[in-house]
Amino acid sequence: MTTALFTPNFSFKISTSTPQRRRRCHFVRSSQATVAVETPSSSATDLLLQVKDLSAVIADSKQPILKGVNLTVRHGEVHAVMGKNGSGKSTFAKVLAGHPDYEITGGSITYKGLDLLEMEPEERAVAGLFMSFQSPVEIPGVSNIDFLNMAYNAKRRKLGLPELGPIEFYGYVAPKLELVNMKIDFLNRNVNEGFSGGEKKRNEILQLAVLGAEFAILDEIDSGLDVDALRDVAKAVNRVLTSENSVLMITHYLRLLEFIKPTYIHIMENGRIVKTGDISIAEILEKEGYKAISGT
Amino acid sequence: MSISALNSYLPKLCAQPRATRTKAFAQPPTLAILSDPHVLRLAETFEDSIASAASSSSPAPPLQKLRDISSQSLLTTPWPSRKDEPFRFTDTSFIKNSEVQPVTLAPTPSLDTLSGLADSLFPSIAIIDGYLVDALSNLSELPEGVFVGRLSNLNSEVLMEKVAKYVSNFKGDLFWSLNGVGAPDLIIVYVPEGCKVENPLHLRFISMNWSEKGSKTLPVSNPRVLVLVEKGGEISLVEEYVGGDGDASCYWTNSVMEVVVGDGAKVSHSYIQTQSLGAAHVKWTSVRQESTSVYELTEVSTGGKLSRHNVHVQQEGPDTVTELSTFHLSIGDQLQDLHSKLVLDHPRGFSRQLHKVIVAHSLGQAVFDGNVQVNRYAQQTDAGQLTRSLLLEPRATVNVKPNLQIIADDVKCSHGAAISDLEEDQLFYFQARGIDKAAARKSLIFSFAAEVVEKFPFVTLQKKVENLIRTLLDPKLPSSEEDFSSYWFCTSCKSGSEHGGITKENSNVPFD
Repeated sequence: MTTALFTPNFSFKISTSTPQRRRRCHFVRSSQATVAVETPSSSATDLLLQVKDLSAVIADSKQPILKGVNLTVRHGEVHAVMGKNGSGKSTFAKVLAGHPDYEITGGSITYKGLDLLEMEPEERAVAGLFMSFQSPVEIPGVSNIDFLNMAYNAKRRKLGLPELGPIEFYGYVAPKLELVNMKIDFLNRNVNEGFSGGEKKRNEILQLAVLGAEFAILDEIDSGLDVDALRDVAKAVNRVLTSENSVLMITHYLRLLEFIKPTYIHIMENGRIVKTGDISIAEILEKEGYKAISGT
Repeated sequence: MSISALNSYLPKLCAQPRATRTKAFAQPPTLAILSDPHVLRLAETFEDSIASAASSSSPAPPLQKLRDISSQSLLTTPWPSRKDEPFRFTDTSFIKNSEVQPVTLAPTPSLDTLSGLADSLFPSIAIIDGYLVDALSNLSELPEGVFVGRLSNLNSEVLMEKVAKYVSNFKGDLFWSLNGVGAPDLIIVYVPEGCKVENPLHLRFISMNWSEKGSKTLPVSNPRVLVLVEKGGEISLVEEYVGGDGDASCYWTNSVMEVVVGDGAKVSHSYIQTQSLGAAHVKWTSVRQESTSVYELTEVSTGGKLSRHNVHVQQEGPDTVTELSTFHLSIGDQLQDLHSKLVLDHPRGFSRQLHKVIVAHSLGQAVFDGNVQVNRYAQQTDAGQLTRSLLLEPRATVNVKPNLQIIADDVKCSHGAAISDLEEDQLFYFQARGIDKAAARKSLIFSFAAEVVEKFPFVTLQKKVENLIRTLLDPKLPSSEEDFSSYWFCTSCKSGSEHGGITKENSNVPFD
């Protein structure tokens, strides 16, 4: 089982990967050594996530948001989803994570050969699906370290490993803080309470570092950040993710894609993926706006 | 003049008023007609117990003054009914229908039987059934000039005068006055000018006399404390109420604390009530805050079948800081009630009130009436009030009435009330990280109280209370989520100030 429970692999060595699992997500400085967009391998074992004709509505109002999304993600691929506000990008991310605000009205999601829609959100998480929240909620009264410890132990239980007590866990989590450039007292603060925008994003990445993920969904980790903060967060992501990880990034800006290079870029419009291509789409988008690549 | 004396004159009083020496008699006779015989009988019982317990010497003048004022007020105070606004949701018939027996003799418990109660890290006093017990008190670490003890042991005439000036300088309700009549002595905590007491003072109120459940008799104690902190003085008080075990012990603690915070002085007040679930706990805390003074109250109440805390804070000068943080937990067939009133009469006052409640039993009930008055001269006041209630069982009830009365026109005030289940977004955040719903609920419920518990000024106290809440709540929380069906719906409205409320079966949320 590929658990990817975080391997502290900081290197930018893109050549270490096996032929099937080529690392396509790499840090920008190593872009000379960049790998071209590869022909996706069609081997069934390589398949991580398959979304077919997915449609979803807001549970309360029954307003349709997703209207037939199709997407295939293989191991080690980095996908970016772009699109106008309200096109359904974040909803798509939340639906994948199992958010109760949305109701699935059609289609299917297969994750690692399992029916994802039949899984509770916590089952999805322990199965290696991680979504970083665009605006994570504050949880007063629960300290960051307790929260991480609970989450980490949930994962350990799933893997049949003994749980870690607070002291052992501290030993495990402390080095992770360096990855995301945070001070140790960050652990004693309550989850997201009074955090700045940048701190919230980094806390999400810290959780990713601690819990690991086979499939990381990064929902606008660049929103609300200035250029320097964005670089920090992107650096942290690159340190945390390895060639094992598959990534689905949601963003509005080319900027983030310069740090974390996607294999594919998808354009979402009115609840559907209307166009898929490589980084050139994002460049066109940046210059000419969505009109230039509108699917309609 | 005592109640019994007055009472015996009652018929004549109504018929033909006549001049007497006492103030009480000088009242218009019509008032006497309103006397409640039950109240008078109770007051008489209290007086008799005091008389039999007292030594031959007459009480010190401040105590006499207290008794006089209290008797007088009892003449015109009926037993509260549900028709009286302050008792609209608080049923006191449990006390009324019991045969109330004042605990008369100061008990002399052996140190062995109380060894568990004797350990206290702070300088401390033990008040057993309303009587201060020296053998269980340790006051060696107090700085010079600080007085902690009985009024009857007070030698300083200057201090005696000050006590006389401040004692019962406020008009409370029936229970306030009953305490005034029944208090065997006054316990004084005095901090002189500029004196900063480093260690917290622990006041341990222990109920040792109780009756078995089902018995009609209700032993009552009437402890009364006056805290006087002079200009620039500072003290931290830890007021703790214990006694009896489980829900089998029935008694009534009717306690009053008066606090005077002088100019620039600071009182940090921690209050922990974990009395028996068969007990009645009625408490008054009346605070007077002079200019630039600071008063901080942190309360956790989990005990009592009927528990009522009345907090009254009166601002006496400008630039005061008042912080009230309270957490009530109702885990059984019990009522937790907080009635607070904060009166701001001077400029630039700052106040923050946070009240949180968990009702975790279908017969559990909670009441909150929080009044903040910002009067005409209280310009540039900054007052905030927030109450949040969590109902964990069907038919669990909470009645909240947060209310602001603002007359000044240049102020910053906010208040809000929310009664709800846990936040969906928070639950989902846990789940998205692999933590199942039941564990997430548990964690969120514990953390609900944390916001208040964190306000306790000492870590030892925080830990102690945290453990207490955990122990009480843990068996109440089902391990599977099925037990928490969605009984709820939560509504909120925004209209000028922030408001929110529930409707959940028999719960109701009156707003001002």
